[in-house]
Amino acid sequence: MRAPLETAGAPPSFGIQLARYAGLLALSGVPLMLLWSNPYWVNVLAYTYLFAALAAAWNIIGGFGGQFSLGHGVFFAIGSYSVARLYLDLGLTPWLGIFPAAVLATVVALLISWPTFRLRGPFFAIATMAINEACFALANYSDKLTGGPRGILIPFRAGLSNMIFIERWKYALLMFAFMIVVVLITVWLRRARLGHYLLAVRADEDAARAAGIDVLKVKLQGMALSAFLTGIGGGLFAMYVRVLDPPTLFSLPDIGVKFALISLIGGIGTIIGPVVGALLIVPLENFLRGTLGGDIPGGHLIILGAILVAASLFLKRGIVGAVLATMRRARRRA
Amino acid sequence: METFFNILISGILLGGIYSLVSIGLNLIFGVVRIVNFAQGEFVMIAMYATFFCFAKFGIGPYYAVFLVAPLMFVVGLVVQRLVLQPLQNEPMMQVFATFGLLILFENSVLAITRGEGYSLAGTYSQTVIEVFGLRASFARVVVFIAASAIALGLMLFLSRTMAGKAIRAVIQDRQSARLMGINVERTYLLTFALGAALAGVAGALLAPIYTLSPYIGGNFILAAFAVVVLGGLGSVPGAYIGGLMVGLMESFAGYYVDPALKQAIWFIIFVIVLVVRPSGLMGQAGAEEVGLREQT
Repeated sequence: MRAPLETAGAPPSFGIQLARYAGLLALSGVPLMLLWSNPYWVNVLAYTYLFAALAAAWNIIGGFGGQFSLGHGVFFAIGSYSVARLYLDLGLTPWLGIFPAAVLATVVALLISWPTFRLRGPFFAIATMAINEACFALANYSDKLTGGPRGILIPFRAGLSNMIFIERWKYALLMFAFMIVVVLITVWLRRARLGHYLLAVRADEDAARAAGIDVLKVKLQGMALSAFLTGIGGGLFAMYVRVLDPPTLFSLPDIGVKFALISLIGGIGTIIGPVVGALLIVPLENFLRGTLGGDIPGGHLIILGAILVAASLFLKRGIVGAVLATMRRARRRA
Repeated sequence: METFFNILISGILLGGIYSLVSIGLNLIFGVVRIVNFAQGEFVMIAMYATFFCFAKFGIGPYYAVFLVAPLMFVVGLVVQRLVLQPLQNEPMMQVFATFGLLILFENSVLAITRGEGYSLAGTYSQTVIEVFGLRASFARVVVFIAASAIALGLMLFLSRTMAGKAIRAVIQDRQSARLMGINVERTYLLTFALGAALAGVAGALLAPIYTLSPYIGGNFILAAFAVVVLGGLGSVPGAYIGGLMVGLMESFAGYYVDPALKQAIWFIIFVIVLVVRPSGLMGQAGAEEVGLREQT
């Protein structure tokens, strides 16, 4: 929680920083270029980029703002269901449908956050987790909206305007583009007033309030941006898997907590951390599921749980944090 | 009228289950200031251990509790010493670590049992007690009595004994307690282990009531969180009374509204309490914020 803020002299100009991150992001696209003809890996990469984007969106409020939400699965699910319903009932193309869906996710996020933001730290985490489970129950219950436990099936009608493609690499490219958008938004945010306010709230809420920051407003703004992007991600997920059922969308280890886990492994509160975390965790999980899944039920989750415990003990600043620390030490020695 | 009383009884007995599960969680929370997401998994492991005692050695659950509770005490010692003590002042990492333990325990049991459902139900839960035309399952009555006895015993322990007073001193102010010569780390260690042992008691006594599943901890932990928030963070009587209230609400709502909505009902309670009285009914005011105060 009280991780030291990134302070490394005068920050480089916006242009230089943007170029740096653009370079890093382009690098993360290399696997797609190498593997685009292999359907198994393209599928893994589509998930990797999508979850990188979603973790980066979580990181806005969870990392920069220090508000440890375990309820982002709710915003994700709202995005998914809304896009699907708008597409199936009104024939609205998902390219436009993601925007009302994201707005709805944002509104719900604000309504949920207003009472829960008075809780701090772990209590906020408990409350958001309870919200996730409550919405899970509601989604199972409201048959008409969500199809209940059976879920919604989006029929396969390939076409650009339906956001349904025969070639998987198109999905992967779409997710890649979404990831770039989200990461560039966080690059902007980190330099914007709101970003500094969020960091101040994370470092010390009382001090931030004493300095004249409207803490609740800042948290709500951070949450709104985070939930909006998560809602869009949910919409893209809906059009990719085309089967939406509550156990998948509200799963804590696979959705809600996964965003936080990816950010932790990569580096909480860093810009590129969620991307690094996703590039590592999502393929690893797929690999483990493939090799262990048949012999040991839940085997891949045993390893994921162990990674989570180990990372919280030994890798608190994530991979990005560890790399930065090593670089700093090397520079000091030189 | 008889329906009403039957719902009342079943609500109180359900409340006993929630109280029993929540007391350990709230004790750990109040003293060590750790929100243990893996508490439900402690209960789950204890249930499997109880089943194992019965299936392998023919030890019934009401005797097995004397083996399972010490076992969970040791598990608690190990978890606190190896995982949580190094994270004492990092609440966010505690959330990660205990959630990781949750996933780890849940899936380890799934891997070992290969998802097969076990049940002790046939032998023990069939016994029904009947008084004035009201019926109650024997196993549930045992749970309710145990929850009441544990709540009372714990309150006496905390208020009357020297060790209990040391624990309360640590609750109030870690630093001053340390200055008074209390070994704070050891207090944490013993309290966490005690909380795990209480989960062990809960697991052993609940084994005859539920069909065992690796995921059953999730059901308990959510109810327990609702109880803890309602009753008051860190309060033993709060956990007991909060448990009974949640049980009653669930029971009545299940009959008069819809059983499928019980989690939504917990959540509504949750939000109302958070907005109206964030410290819960019996908690110390401000406890929901103190959780993050630096206490080195």
